[in-house]
Amino acid sequence: MGPSVKIFFATDIHGSEVCWRKFLNSAEFYKADLVILGGDVTGKVMVPVVNHGTYWQVTLSGQTHQLESGSELEEIERQIRNRGYYPTRVEPDELAALNEADGSIDRRFTAEMISTLDRWLDMADSKLRGGEIPCIVNGGNDDTFDIDDVVEASPCVTFAEAKVLDLDGFSLASMGYTNPTPWDTFREAPEDELEKRIEAVVGQIPDMGRAIFNFHAPPYGTGLDEAPALDENMRPMHGGAVMKPVGSTAVRDSIMKYQPMLSVHGHIHESRGIKKMGRTLAMNPGSVYGDGVLQGAVIELNAKKHKVARYILVNG
Amino acid sequence: MTTVEDASGIGATSAGSEAPTLFLRKATGLVRGWSVRDAVIYACLSTNVITLGVYEFSFSSPFPKGQLLTGVLISGVWVTFLVIAYSGLIVTIPRAGGDYVWQSRILGGPVGFVFAATGWWFILWLWAPIYGAILNVEFFQPILWTLGWKGAATYFGTHNGEFTICIVTIVLAGLLVSLGMSAYARFQKWCFFGGMVGFLTVVVLLLAFSHHSFVTSVDSQALKYFGVHGAYQATNHVGAGLGQVAPKTFGLGAFGDSMLLVPLLMFYLLWPNWGSTLYGEIRGASDFKRVFSGMFGGLWLTVALSVIFLLLIDKTVGWTFYNNANAASFNLKGVIPIWPYPVMMAGWLVHSEAFQVILLLVMGLWFFGWVGTLFLSSTRVIFAAAFDRVLPDAAATVSEKRKVPMASLVLMLLPAVGLSALYSYWGKFGSYTLDATLVIAVTYLFSAFSVVILPWRKPELWRASPASRFKVLGVPIVPLAGAATMGLIIFNLVEWLKNANYYVNSNDSLIFMGILYALAVVVYVVARLIRKRQGIDLALINKEIPVE
Repeated sequence: MGPSVKIFFATDIHGSEVCWRKFLNSAEFYKADLVILGGDVTGKVMVPVVNHGTYWQVTLSGQTHQLESGSELEEIERQIRNRGYYPTRVEPDELAALNEADGSIDRRFTAEMISTLDRWLDMADSKLRGGEIPCIVNGGNDDTFDIDDVVEASPCVTFAEAKVLDLDGFSLASMGYTNPTPWDTFREAPEDELEKRIEAVVGQIPDMGRAIFNFHAPPYGTGLDEAPALDENMRPMHGGAVMKPVGSTAVRDSIMKYQPMLSVHGHIHESRGIKKMGRTLAMNPGSVYGDGVLQGAVIELNAKKHKVARYILVNG
Repeated sequence: MTTVEDASGIGATSAGSEAPTLFLRKATGLVRGWSVRDAVIYACLSTNVITLGVYEFSFSSPFPKGQLLTGVLISGVWVTFLVIAYSGLIVTIPRAGGDYVWQSRILGGPVGFVFAATGWWFILWLWAPIYGAILNVEFFQPILWTLGWKGAATYFGTHNGEFTICIVTIVLAGLLVSLGMSAYARFQKWCFFGGMVGFLTVVVLLLAFSHHSFVTSVDSQALKYFGVHGAYQATNHVGAGLGQVAPKTFGLGAFGDSMLLVPLLMFYLLWPNWGSTLYGEIRGASDFKRVFSGMFGGLWLTVALSVIFLLLIDKTVGWTFYNNANAASFNLKGVIPIWPYPVMMAGWLVHSEAFQVILLLVMGLWFFGWVGTLFLSSTRVIFAAAFDRVLPDAAATVSEKRKVPMASLVLMLLPAVGLSALYSYWGKFGSYTLDATLVIAVTYLFSAFSVVILPWRKPELWRASPASRFKVLGVPIVPLAGAATMGLIIFNLVEWLKNANYYVNSNDSLIFMGILYALAVVVYVVARLIRKRQGIDLALINKEIPVE
């Protein structure tokens, strides 16, 4: 074990290809020993690129583009991917046939998501020198379960869900589930079930003094979980000026109970911040993936003193 | 915020028979756009026609050839460009940190810190006594005199009284920060509607009563409350003695002379962007329109209210009397011993103490709906700077039980108390009111510069922004609006610094502002050195990771 371990932690890139590329380059850029992506890896939006024979048509942010050359098409698809969306090439009749009722949109979405993830993992192989730089990825509440096996199969990326991983003497315990959201997403559970999931993974930690929690949901009421309050129509209330805590009480209680040296979180993009919770340094680097900026935390752990030696939140 | 209205696919329906242009899956954060009406209310309260506008109108006597009506209209048009420029920034980089985030991202961390710290934190120390002064002259003094509580009224007219009200204001704003925005936001909305009812009442009074009724009311009520005989004539006499010769008549007046009122009117019209936030991840053209409409609506609602106010002042109060009363008060030679608050004098048209007090209380809602904003921005900047490790981590601590941001409150409240003391006890300092506008305007100048260079500095970000699609003759309007905003602020800066009538360019005032900027630079440099010694490189914060 070296005297210190330097980690780069980022989260919630939501399909943004530019953020993934930056994530893969972050170890070299910040001189980190390993990199961790805390969940919500996949995108939320799919953009149809329609083949009209002599040209392709796509509408992005309300602006319609007609693309006649292959290079134009590739450029717009690159822009779509960088924004965290999935471009999907379709024929007009194919587009018309896609509908929610028969699940064809879901199937198409999943196919695009998985093929993108496969491509991303191939990129990782070359960027991370075939696994020489440890790279840990976890699922978040917005990631479907389809991604688990895909990441598990990667030779150079480790899938962390419900596991305790050894990081050069430190123990990283991960959980991508969150407390319920208004959107009823994939990895959500009531607080009592979250508590059981946390206990199950934390129980595997050999030495709590060297523990790091990597829980997607931030701890409740800590300032790391402030999101705009929404009305019943899912509109931000009072012009978006009113924030409210939406984190997990089970996550908060587990941090207070076990006092790991470090606890990293995501999920609430607007709530970038740091909070000292007893002995634990808790942080949420937030996310602005839509801007192509990779927010993250560079954290140096002192192996001898079992504590965070230094840290900084960055906008890479 | 996602504009689900724009989208179609899962969770949303396709618009009409058109083919869907994007599909959304079940995921967090997909929310609908926030209400434009809310945004109009916040922008209108920020450019507060009563607490800021009417108050600042009374300081126009050093510019006797300028017409307030023309000045307000010019300002409204010019500030519209600021609204366009800020709408562009908000939808391109929709972050609660506003100027701090935009400038840090586009111009670099040191620039972002220095201008955010000065414009959204340090100068708010000076705004505290200004808020206090307004509370005093528009609320406490007229109400206490109307109630006949001369002892209390006289006390609040002394230096000690002024300082007491500053402390009341600071405590009030601090409490609101501590209690959180949730309840206050609802209260704010009610204040707005209540304030509008009050404004409408003033409008009805000024419409219903004649100028002759006003003259007799001023004479009778000034005698009743202040023991002043023939107040109307006496005020005009004092005004004439001060050389308050023009404008005797109300109108549009000379454009150039009225332009000189613009730097004065920025005190209230420069803030339509004060509360603009945007949350969301899928941004479309409707977001730009929504953000723009909110701020634009608020700005022009204020302009409209100002125009109505000025027209009615001319009709019923009389333009000469209004200007003479303001000039007399400005030169500390007022016939009545308090600031000639137009609302109070409109209330005098109804010879009922109860009515007059109720009207003043209701119009006080314009203040109470607005005071909470005093320290909110400061807290955000302090927290952001602490998370960036520029300030000590303790600056962002929040008390466990009540969630009160104690350290940031101390960083705001203590200096605000100090400046309030200076403001109250050192008459000279009280004339630095427009410094409070100038320092924020400089912050805006750099944000406007950011938006001008955005397409070149961050081309990918700009291309992805809905703001990039709004063009005139093929030229994107947002950077153009940024240039026009820079023109507005540079014009103001030149006038503020060269013309002594704005009371900004005195040596002491410049030293005060210089200290604020120097303090911000020193804080940043010291932080950088300390963090370097700790092995933390602050230069890393905004350094972009290579993509390839």
